[in-house]
Amino acid sequence: MAAININQVQFQQMMKEGTPVLVEFWAPWCGYCRRIGPAYDKIAEEYGGQLTAAKINIDEEAALAEAEQIEVIPTLVLYRNGTAVDSIVNPDSKAAIGQFIQDALGR
Amino acid sequence: MNKMHVYDMIVVGGGPGGYTAALYAARAGLDVVVLEKLSAGGQMALTEEIDNYPGFEAGIDGITLAEKMQQQAERFGAKTEYAQVERMDLSAVPKLLETSEGTFYARTVVLATGANPRELGIADEDALVGRGVAYCAACDGMRYRGKTVVVVGGGNSAAADALLLSRIAKQVILVHRRDTLRATKVYHEPLMQAENLEFRWNSTVAELLHEGKLTGVKLKDVKTGEETEIPCDGVFISVGRKPATELVRGQLELDKSGYVAADETTRTSLPGVYAVGDVRTKPLRQVVTAAADGATAVHMAEEFLSGGA
Repeated sequence: MAAININQVQFQQMMKEGTPVLVEFWAPWCGYCRRIGPAYDKIAEEYGGQLTAAKINIDEEAALAEAEQIEVIPTLVLYRNGTAVDSIVNPDSKAAIGQFIQDALGR
Repeated sequence: MNKMHVYDMIVVGGGPGGYTAALYAARAGLDVVVLEKLSAGGQMALTEEIDNYPGFEAGIDGITLAEKMQQQAERFGAKTEYAQVERMDLSAVPKLLETSEGTFYARTVVLATGANPRELGIADEDALVGRGVAYCAACDGMRYRGKTVVVVGGGNSAAADALLLSRIAKQVILVHRRDTLRATKVYHEPLMQAENLEFRWNSTVAELLHEGKLTGVKLKDVKTGEETEIPCDGVFISVGRKPATELVRGQLELDKSGYVAADETTRTSLPGVYAVGDVRTKPLRQVVTAAADGATAVHMAEEFLSGGA
């Protein structure tokens, strides 16, 4: 399944569930974010059994992005049990995203 | 995955050269895969608008053009793997590529790894990337709305970056080590007309000033040696590019500037290995010349695969 776009309400619901959640904070005007798109969808498929891959548009969810202290996009954050485990800014390859997930899940 | 599968052709890099090779290969009936680490397009994907690729009379943004090239190649059966190539053995039979997604084998390899922005090479540059130091105005420019930015360089990409930023930022200061631009004429007039753009000729960036993030730059006048500090929120470095040849160093002949030595045939110093686009020796690095290389490489590879050259 491709990565899903979520809003603040869905985000807060997901934080209560047991499955780890990977969130990409992005915006439509962000070139780097568009570039990550296809690889991120592939990640969503490959890691579907281990986590939920979601996307949050910071233009639509400005308060949430601020609360999560997102200063630069794209930023990927891995949450577990409602807490941010780790984040990565502007990964330059699908492999780098995979490595980030494995490291973060291993903590 | 496909452990023992031997492709007719592996294309390393999914920019315009790579996907044109994939298109021609697929249409020629070759079994071809593109290994791309992140997304189609390469440097083109970070270009806001491309106005000199024929056929798009109103211009097209780089990532959309990249997606179109990818889809066109895939329509004829080319595959894409989002794989980071870690090591290649281009002399082996078949040729071997170790990647983040496993090992791939092929009879021919098209190297379309492109080029990356060249760094200034000054202290703290790496550490400040994303915190004031940037290499791509089209990607990072929006963060500097209403702020003051410095652009370093004097070629076409610096001119284009300065123009783009002049529409976003409060003030743009273009720093160039010579007293005139190398940029094509088409840029000159709009640059001179931009009211919030200031030139600092004969100057280089001597130091990046920072407190957690960039706060300014120290410029050095190359004639007088005089140093001045300029407060700014961002510095965009546009001082050229360097070819991505790390994976083939020691395997393929490179030219004096570090590009893969290959003429218009795209043939490299190893049989069955072709270099297309920005990574090879060439007088003009453009989307259209990269695409042309891709077509030529497949023509040469077909000869090689059929036992010819």
